[in-house]
Amino acid sequence: MRIELTSGVYLNVIPTTKFKTTRIAVHFLAPTDAMTYAARTLLTSVLETSSAAYPTQAALAAELELMYGANFGIGVSKDGQVHRVTATLDLVADALAGQPLLARGCRFLAEVLLHPKRVGDHFDPAVVTRERHNLMDYLSSLAEDRQLQASLAAQALYFAADADQATPSFGTAEAVAAVTETDLQAAYQQLLTLDQIELVVLGDVQPAAVTELVAQMGFAPRNPHPLSLITDQPVAATVRTQTQVASVNQAKMNLAYHTPIDLYGPNYYPALVAAELFGGSPLSFLFTNVREKASLAYYASSVLDPFRHLMMVQTGIDGTNAAVVQDLIAAQLKKVATGDFSDALLQKIKDGLKNGRQIAYDSPRFLARQGLLHALIPAHRMAYADYAAQVDAVTRAQVQAAAEAMTLQAIYLLTDQEAI
Amino acid sequence: MQQDYPEVSETLITQTLPNGLRVLIVPKPDYHETYAQFAVDYGGIDTRYVPVGGSEMVQDPEGIAHFLEHKLFEKADHDAFDLFGATGASANAFTGATSTAYLFSTSQAVAENLTTLLDFVQDPYFTAQTVAKEKGIIGQEIQMYQDSPGWLLYYGILGNLYPDHPVAHDVTGSLESIDRITPEALYQAYQTFYQPSNMTLTIVGNVDPAALLALIEANQAAKSFAPATPITRGVAFDGDVATILPYRALNLPVVRPKSAVGLKGQRDIGGDQAGTRYQVAVRLLLEMLFGDSSPLYQDWYDRGLIDDSFDYDYQVARTFNYVTFAGDTEDPQALSDAIVAVLAQGADQPSLTEARFARLKQAGLGKYYQSLNSLERIAGQLSAQSFTAVNAFELADVMRAVTLDELKTIAGELFDLAAVSVCHVLPEVSE
Repeated sequence: MRIELTSGVYLNVIPTTKFKTTRIAVHFLAPTDAMTYAARTLLTSVLETSSAAYPTQAALAAELELMYGANFGIGVSKDGQVHRVTATLDLVADALAGQPLLARGCRFLAEVLLHPKRVGDHFDPAVVTRERHNLMDYLSSLAEDRQLQASLAAQALYFAADADQATPSFGTAEAVAAVTETDLQAAYQQLLTLDQIELVVLGDVQPAAVTELVAQMGFAPRNPHPLSLITDQPVAATVRTQTQVASVNQAKMNLAYHTPIDLYGPNYYPALVAAELFGGSPLSFLFTNVREKASLAYYASSVLDPFRHLMMVQTGIDGTNAAVVQDLIAAQLKKVATGDFSDALLQKIKDGLKNGRQIAYDSPRFLARQGLLHALIPAHRMAYADYAAQVDAVTRAQVQAAAEAMTLQAIYLLTDQEAI
Repeated sequence: MQQDYPEVSETLITQTLPNGLRVLIVPKPDYHETYAQFAVDYGGIDTRYVPVGGSEMVQDPEGIAHFLEHKLFEKADHDAFDLFGATGASANAFTGATSTAYLFSTSQAVAENLTTLLDFVQDPYFTAQTVAKEKGIIGQEIQMYQDSPGWLLYYGILGNLYPDHPVAHDVTGSLESIDRITPEALYQAYQTFYQPSNMTLTIVGNVDPAALLALIEANQAAKSFAPATPITRGVAFDGDVATILPYRALNLPVVRPKSAVGLKGQRDIGGDQAGTRYQVAVRLLLEMLFGDSSPLYQDWYDRGLIDDSFDYDYQVARTFNYVTFAGDTEDPQALSDAIVAVLAQGADQPSLTEARFARLKQAGLGKYYQSLNSLERIAGQLSAQSFTAVNAFELADVMRAVTLDELKTIAGELFDLAAVSVCHVLPEVSE
């Protein structure tokens, strides 16, 4: 069920008795603009740690404890050309807790999102200073996770001509350092008055009761910018490459491919199956041939980003083998494109996709995410049966064509000096 | 035996088969998924033992349990992964300090996958050739962990607390130790530890318990096993504070310095009622003192001594238990000093008030209820406690029974400065 509570503010309710929890997600959606990521991210840290009603982190944590140990967080993310600020609250179901936690949770979210801790007209400068400092420290330490470092660098390389996509959803340490009080206020005003709001409530709830509770949260009407999730860029004739040297024991190599997909349309499911066969599952060619047979990597897998026409391959390898692994990966994609796979393997890959999808329906997080996608994408179908039928309908020829259309665009290598 | 837990609307069926295998089943008719875990009471620390049929202790290379776990999937003419995959199921395995577990998750063909799980784990196949090849894959895994500063800090503090106990060694072993692993050593360890009487099969999901039990019984009855033999392990409980290295610093290519404090448990904690209650009390105590609603946390956060990365961890297992505190910080010495100063106060802690205690108990109950959404979490908790008197569905009662006085008593005993060690990770100094 999706209703417009007020202009630009939508409520999606997913009633289910399956879980011991109720999940509330509040999404603030805006068109991607790299210049705003740092301010929006700093804003989430400020809102997450203090508010007028809960001025200290300890006070805020105490309220969560009183709500039967509720899990709360505010974060940022990107889906294609949509930048998202999302607050989530997971509560014990009212029946199990024996008290109206959903109502209390809605009041809590309204306090945190709409009544921040203020000093005069500003956010509390002490909180802003502290959170800015922590966020900058955190962002500069991301390089300590080499897998993440390689993934972000490969993304930047692939989207070299598109700053909105090249920049991570959380911005950079430099940009966070440069955020002014005015920027922060502007980012907050955008949340309050302009961003499209999608609320998702999932659990053992009555839609009418939820509607009343959420209406009381007091989100203002707005006329949001129209959202367009899908982004694409022209296929380049040459492959961009970059090698960075760091003190690493295991090298990381990421490969980015342009992938023609029409989200949930006729090209989507063949691409999904092709990517799964290439590197998405333990039965895939990357896993069985690169990792297992050739023993050349601890991990080698691919993941499809359907909003951005992108497939990314990640590997952890011995840096001296980079060229060999690169050739081997190319050969695996060629196997998919030329149809060098059995019908039995194709069936197993499809069964694996369906099985994984069906199991995902046991997760409140997945179901709430589907609620958001359903609200944003007209072609999205909630039911598992729709997904299964689409996967089943994919033919061998379609899988080959999908793989044939995947074009290598960028190669990023993070390796030790001695491996060069 | 069937036991109902009306408070959390769960049912647990338990049965021990004639060969000693324990079977635990939790039906979840609302779910699509069925999750099964076949676990062995054998992990990274179990490198010293008397082999079945022998009389002398042997010393295996470190990393052998993890190596065995990897190798068990590969057979003469197929890989067990493919059998699961053929039905669309996903399979995995993991090795911890004291246990190894093989698992699958599926929405269909539960019986077929369960048979695959039982059969591949109970049919070892190790050759010189396959063992040699695996060394390449695990070598990559070991190298990957060497690039993780958090991992190195964790093993750094464990190395300080346990210089003479194998829990301080990486479960994956080292490039040098895994190079010494042979098919003969794998078979010897397998025959000693993978006895049905040393294993637990846990199934949670959309299943008919009676039909599954019949299937498991028939599967086991059709196989021949050596008689159950008690296992003589060469690793004893280590609560010795005399061996602790008080301080070490590691220089690594990090952006942010890191600080860890370790506290070695001196009392061997069992999985019986009293032991479970003790563990629940310790966790409440730590949350009261160091959790994010504590006055200390607020003070340290405001002063910039800690950030979101600060956390504590309490581990209790066969032959060891310890607490670790760790976080990224600009001043690792100041953070470890602050933590040690709290521990030095023993039972005299101003933040141990009845009001906060009541609140944290309620929060603890809520977190516990939330964990029951996940079949993996249910199976993991049940399996970990399969040899003990208290199961995962009884934790709420234990939590409700714990008192604030118990926490104070524990603080007085556990917080012993002689049992404390410190480890810092510092950025490498450029030459």
